Amino acid sequence: MLTSITEILNLLKKYGKVEKIHKDTYVVEISPGKVRELCEILHWKLNGHFSVTVGSDERPVNGYFGVYHVFLLDKQKLSVIVHVKVNPVTLKIPSITPIIPGANWHEREAHDFFGIFFEEHPNLERLILPYDWPEGIHPLRKDVNVRELRYKLLKKETGLVVEKKAEEEYIVPIGPYHPALHEPEYFELYVEGEKIVDARYKGFHVHRGIEKVAEERLTINQVPFIAERICGICGYTHNVAYCQAVENAARIDVPLRAKYIRSILLEIERVHSHLLWFGVLFHLLGFDTGFMMTWLVREKIMDLAEILTGNRKNYGMNLVGGVRRDINEEKIKLSLETLDYVEYKLRKILDKMLKLKEITSRTKEIGLLSREEARKLSVVGPVARASGISTDVRRYHPYAAYSELEFKVPVYDAGDVYSRALVRYDEIFESISMLKQLLKNIPKGDLTAENVKVPEYRKGLGLTEAPRGENVHLVITGRENKVYRWRPRAPSYNNVPSTLVMLKGEKLADAPAIIASIDPCFSCTDHVVVIDVRTNVKQVLRLKEIARGK
Amino acid sequence: MCGLLCKLAAWARKKSPWIFHLPAGGLCNGCDIEIVAALTPRYDVERFGILLAPSPKHADILVVAGQVTKHTKERLLRVYQQVPEPKAVVAVGSCAISGNVFGTENYPLAGTVDQFIPVDVYVPGCPPKPEAIILGIVEAIKKLEGETRKS
Ligand code: SF4
Repeated sequence: MLTSITEILNLLKKYGKVEKIHKDTYVVEISPGKVRELCEILHWKLNGHFSVTVGSDERPVNGYFGVYHVFLLDKQKLSVIVHVKVNPVTLKIPSITPIIPGANWHEREAHDFFGIFFEEHPNLERLILPYDWPEGIHPLRKDVNVRELRYKLLKKETGLVVEKKAEEEYIVPIGPYHPALHEPEYFELYVEGEKIVDARYKGFHVHRGIEKVAEERLTINQVPFIAERICGICGYTHNVAYCQAVENAARIDVPLRAKYIRSILLEIERVHSHLLWFGVLFHLLGFDTGFMMTWLVREKIMDLAEILTGNRKNYGMNLVGGVRRDINEEKIKLSLETLDYVEYKLRKILDKMLKLKEITSRTKEIGLLSREEARKLSVVGPVARASGISTDVRRYHPYAAYSELEFKVPVYDAGDVYSRALVRYDEIFESISMLKQLLKNIPKGDLTAENVKVPEYRKGLGLTEAPRGENVHLVITGRENKVYRWRPRAPSYNNVPSTLVMLKGEKLADAPAIIASIDPCFSCTDHVVVIDVRTNVKQVLRLKEIARGK
Repeated sequence: MCGLLCKLAAWARKKSPWIFHLPAGGLCNGCDIEIVAALTPRYDVERFGILLAPSPKHADILVVAGQVTKHTKERLLRVYQQVPEPKAVVAVGSCAISGNVFGTENYPLAGTVDQFIPVDVYVPGCPPKPEAIILGIVEAIKKLEGETRKS
């Protein structure tokens, strides 16, 4: 088996032109006919994992559409981007979904946005665009402009509101209500009595078209603001990933102090996000005391963020090339004290709660995801680590200040909801220990790199380990201080399809905890349509109702 | 003009307003999380009688976060119609108020909340702190009071 970096590079060279775009990141440009073969080697034989597929309209630059499949090889600490040029007339390339099922959504998205056909894709239906979207308009193509698009769509709207939409909209506002777990996305569960026999997911109602806005309107240094607002829980990680992608593309060296500050905030975000998740899990299991107690401790972490950045959420701390604000000794001292308190409190609370029979009996051996399935779907983050896959961007593709820290990557083999909780439990304390190391050792120095200049049409890959898993941003820089193409891929995008595997065969009452166990950014934990396969009766329930056994 | 029962209802509404929280779609979730945070022990709005209603039909105050998308437009209107009179609407966060950094012209977006339903209180911030959200709700209660007096 090939293992060393040179061997892999030689192999890649056999397939096409290899270009190093920045440290440990290579682009290999190959012809469409060889895509499958190479992707199969990268994902299955070399034990890498498929990370994201990015479509791109490069007709103004080179006359083609581009498709980039990104693979991360953890062992070799390498990222390989497989680039295929797509003929703008036929628009066809072979799909890789038949060999890597995890690529399913990625390819459908590229089909929606660019109209690229992936041959032999099992189900190339619309994923993100609404039902009533007119055929043949692909919003991320460069010849489509936001304003025109809006005008066209407005004209269409009068006659084109499809009946089906009204029906689906109808079911949404019903049902008891809980504030956090609430967004207009839902699952359809097919049940036989109490048993779930099949599950489907309908989502993307919160699609805001931010890629279009960023590419068309914002400058390179404005994009971090919109990047941070991709997610209200773990936004900063997107911000960092974007900045890193641009910095990598432009070969900008970020000062060490800035890297430390980024890592500090990233870990704060992880702790608050995991605590939030514990709260939600406890709540869904009907254990509201746990919910309230974890969120009470979480407030301390929110204070910490506020002390260091000025806002509880959406820190706005990054610039391409560094950070905006410094932290001083006084804040460091205060932060260390808070961390001690939080650690002490959490040990007390979580240790007890995770031993409670009410919790263990409803999470152990429930929502199983085997290692093989996890590999197939290319899941990331705590979900992968709970299924025995040791993957962590901080360890294998170090960024910010992580190469200077000591930390463990918790891995559990059971692949059930309980191990997902354990992974997060361990991670909270690892993060606290990392935070202490960072705060104590932060070096003196500048906050931003001098001379930040971004050249045209360079590619850069930015990787971070978000609380929910690996987060990938691919950036192609453009002219006039803009980005030409920016594709952020959040971890939940890879994780959500795995819930459908976890749900099959489980009891209906366990569905809420299973869906929540991947921490799907809240977006998807909400509405569930239950369909009895014997009677074909549809019933719309909130997760909480199921939790209560209605 | 108000009978005893009606007065009683008005008093109850003031002492214990029920709110319905609706994320309108084009949002990052940050505001929603802060609204939940307002329920947790540090802020604990329930001790003031502010309660989350399970359905818009039981609510007095509608709290909307996020910008309206094409997907959610009709849902917003329907929920608004279902809230019984007198009612007040609180728009939480920059997204709901102005579209924030997302703008209002992009293809999936329909517009800001006040282009579709009347908004009484705006709570700016991205996200606003839980304290600010609570203040917004208190302002909305005042509006409810005023309206009952008028009627
Ligand atoms: S106002 Fe800010 S925090 Fe609130 S939903 Fe919008 S982007 Fe998120």
